[in-house]
Amino acid sequence: MALLKLENVTKRFGGLVAVDKMSLEIKEGEFIGIVGPNGSGKTTLYNVISGVYFPENGSIIFEGSDITKLPPYRRAHLGIGRTFQIPRPFSSATVRENVAVGAMFGRLSVNVEESLETADYYIGLVGLKAHRDKISGALTPTEKKLIEIARALAMKPKLLLLDEVMAGMHPESIEKMIRLLKEVSEEEKIAIVSMVEHIMRAVIGFAKRVIVMYRGAKLVDAPAQEALNDPRVIEVYLGKGIRDA
Amino acid sequence: MISVGKSVNSQQSIVNIKKYFPLLPVYGIYLLLFLIGIIYPEMWSVVTLLAFYCALGQAFNIFLGMTGYVDFGYVAFLGLGAYGMALGIDVSHQTGLNIGIIFIGIILGLLMATLLSLVVGAVALRLRGAYFAIATIGVNEGFRYLIEGAKLWGGSEGLIYFRQLNEAMGREKTNVIVTFWADVFVLVIAAISAFITLYYMRSKIGYALTALREDEDAAKVMGINVTKYKILAFITSASMAGMLGATSWGLKYTHVFPADVFEIHYTVEGIVIILLGGAGTLLGPAAGGLLYGLSKYWLGAMFPGIQLLIFAPIILIIIVAFPEGIVGTMKKKIKGTVLERYIA
Ligand SMILES: Nc1ncnc2c1ncn2[C@@H]1O[C@H](COP(=O)(O)OP(=O)(O)O)[C@@H](O)[C@H]1O
Ligand SMILES: [Mg+2]
Repeated sequence: MALLKLENVTKRFGGLVAVDKMSLEIKEGEFIGIVGPNGSGKTTLYNVISGVYFPENGSIIFEGSDITKLPPYRRAHLGIGRTFQIPRPFSSATVRENVAVGAMFGRLSVNVEESLETADYYIGLVGLKAHRDKISGALTPTEKKLIEIARALAMKPKLLLLDEVMAGMHPESIEKMIRLLKEVSEEEKIAIVSMVEHIMRAVIGFAKRVIVMYRGAKLVDAPAQEALNDPRVIEVYLGKGIRDA
Repeated sequence: MISVGKSVNSQQSIVNIKKYFPLLPVYGIYLLLFLIGIIYPEMWSVVTLLAFYCALGQAFNIFLGMTGYVDFGYVAFLGLGAYGMALGIDVSHQTGLNIGIIFIGIILGLLMATLLSLVVGAVALRLRGAYFAIATIGVNEGFRYLIEGAKLWGGSEGLIYFRQLNEAMGREKTNVIVTFWADVFVLVIAAISAFITLYYMRSKIGYALTALREDEDAAKVMGINVTKYKILAFITSASMAGMLGATSWGLKYTHVFPADVFEIHYTVEGIVIILLGGAGTLLGPAAGGLLYGLSKYWLGAMFPGIQLLIFAPIILIIIVAFPEGIVGTMKKKIKGTVLERYIA
């Protein structure tokens, strides 16, 4: 059984079709890369899966049950975690408190003490130990992205949607982050969908499968190498040579 | 084995007691107010004024401070609390319950306020911040016109029940209760509200409220049922306001007039106290209540008639200079020092 299944999902904003009849299956523990030009509907897809927006059409099935109409907090309890493209930590709270919130209200309902311990673990994992007790609003954008990752991991999700978490990071940091995510994904059996807009080279490195989105629809869904060499994909990127993008 | 278990347990309870250290400065303030009033009887009226503002801030803060939602109709909870006391005394003064009728009044005030908060909360708390605030404008006026228009509970004539109190408890006891114990109850309500505030802060509830105050959408995605936590904070805050109205107005004045108890300026005073002291902090409402009450009292004595002209700009300057309030600013300053353990 697929962990997540989208069937013909459509999300419109007025006249604009941001996600267009999208069908998709994600298996448990899978590591998927998602690419597509700006405005192709990737973030909207995440919003629809995590429940921030409800789709006009189609259905979303998680572990066999229909969650199309479920509010976001119930989806979090089922095991859907995500980060935001523009990091949204609770800025007046410390890094530790932020990550603890993930543990406290995520898939497992955990008390405050245990949540703080879980938080410490994931803060260490993403390398924010030195900032643990700082007010998160005072951190740099990259550090805020790390908070988002730690907070989402602390939710103990079965499916983790990462929205451009590596954009703006140094190449070495990206490499480290990819290795880290891969390890966590294997260790905790988390299916990870990661957006990797401007770092095509990295995509091939970690994702067995790559989904290419274009104008709200799925253009290609194939093993990484194959997807990136697909002529349609190259065309989407205007012959720019997707591997150099 | 047993001794290991015991030591772990006692360590646990020490940790738990430490969590409540921030109540010390708050309760210190309330005790000090009480002692000043006892030792200098001529100060009692100032003490009661300050106690009321502290309690108002402490109760309102559980909702306004902790969720970031503004309820412009908040005074309606106090007003209903006052009516609860009036009705409680009216129906039970011949039952021979003696001073028990006061507790009936407090409980009735609490229930009426809670009931209103359930209704308002279920409807309006589904709305986002600004829309919620707009939806609550006029709840208090609505009650006033309902009571006056429908001639409910004595209509615009209000309810006067000094006689009933005398019948139930005798003249002397009534006197002590309305001039002394009613005000002591106000301090007790402030203390209870402070305790609940800290209890919430230290539990999952506080984390949920902080999250939804900062970013409601992100909070939902983190698994927080935001409506549930907002309603919880709203009901708690309203029930404290109900008891406050029952004692500080209903019991103290032995009468209730709709034009008095549904006045929006009490809501505004509550908001100002919380902003001055530090929204969402534990000590803030007590600090704000003292600062507001003392300034108002002092300016009223120094510049009778024009005190508001002076007061309003001063408040505005303080709020602009310290957007996180006195205690919010202080908390940042003492971060990492031992004092941190005592201030929340
Ligand atoms: N809340 C919204 N309201 C209106 N239009 C939106 C909204 N969110 C996204 N869109 C539009 O939907 C399209 C897809 O956007 P998005 O999902 O953010 O793309 P991507 O993440 O791939 O860059 C864009 O045209 C964008 O302008
Ligand atoms: Mg996007």
